[in-house]
Amino acid sequence: MYKGLVACRAGMGSSMLLKIKVDQVISEEGMDIKVEHGNLDSLIGFNGDVVITMEDVAHEIADKAPYVIGVRNIMDKVEIKTKLNEFLATKQ
Amino acid sequence: MLKNMISEELIVLNVEASDWKDAVRKAACPLVNQGKIKESYVDGIIRAVHEIGPYFVLTKHVALAHSRPEDGVIEGAIGIATLKTPIEFGNEDNDPVKYIFTLSAIDNNAHLSALSDLAGLLEQQEFYEFLDKAKSAEEVMNYINAM
Repeated sequence: MYKGLVACRAGMGSSMLLKIKVDQVISEEGMDIKVEHGNLDSLIGFNGDVVITMEDVAHEIADKAPYVIGVRNIMDKVEIKTKLNEFLATKQ
Repeated sequence: MLKNMISEELIVLNVEASDWKDAVRKAACPLVNQGKIKESYVDGIIRAVHEIGPYFVLTKHVALAHSRPEDGVIEGAIGIATLKTPIEFGNEDNDPVKYIFTLSAIDNNAHLSALSDLAGLLEQQEFYEFLDKAKSAEEVMNYINAM
């Protein structure tokens, strides 16, 4: 089971919507990932495997987590699925 | 429930705005008038965009305008605004914005279910088509109540 963090800047709206969509994809695809939700402060002390955030934030935090996924369109489940699969492929 | 956070008074259609700031202010205005947020919350949204960019343009043509609760949330609410003319927010993936949802949230947990419903709404192409044709806030509210 891989551990992920869904985060946005404020940790209020965008990341919660993103988490809802990520959870849908994980459950539909039966992926072995569990995600929690937070803001960028949650990155401090985060010891999981992957951070999922908005594309513009992803650049800034690229060196702060083992693997960072930036999502351009948070309603696009195909984009989320593709990027999660890319992450899982690095683990094989 | 989504319908508990949205009311007719928080829905404005075919708003004319000169730029993204004007659009955010006009979309949030009903929430200020209805005592859901303080003016400082709207300032917080605009300040955050200046500092860190248009972080809330989430999907094609859709902005979820929001800031931190401490900027001035009084009560949890969601406002809906459609723009007469779509406006560039500076998000190259999802510009121009035509629909602005203004979110005020007291805390994360209280709003998860409303956001979950909102996520369901935001992925429905029919909802945007409906918004484009809707003539009144009452019609939009009826649509949401019927979900």
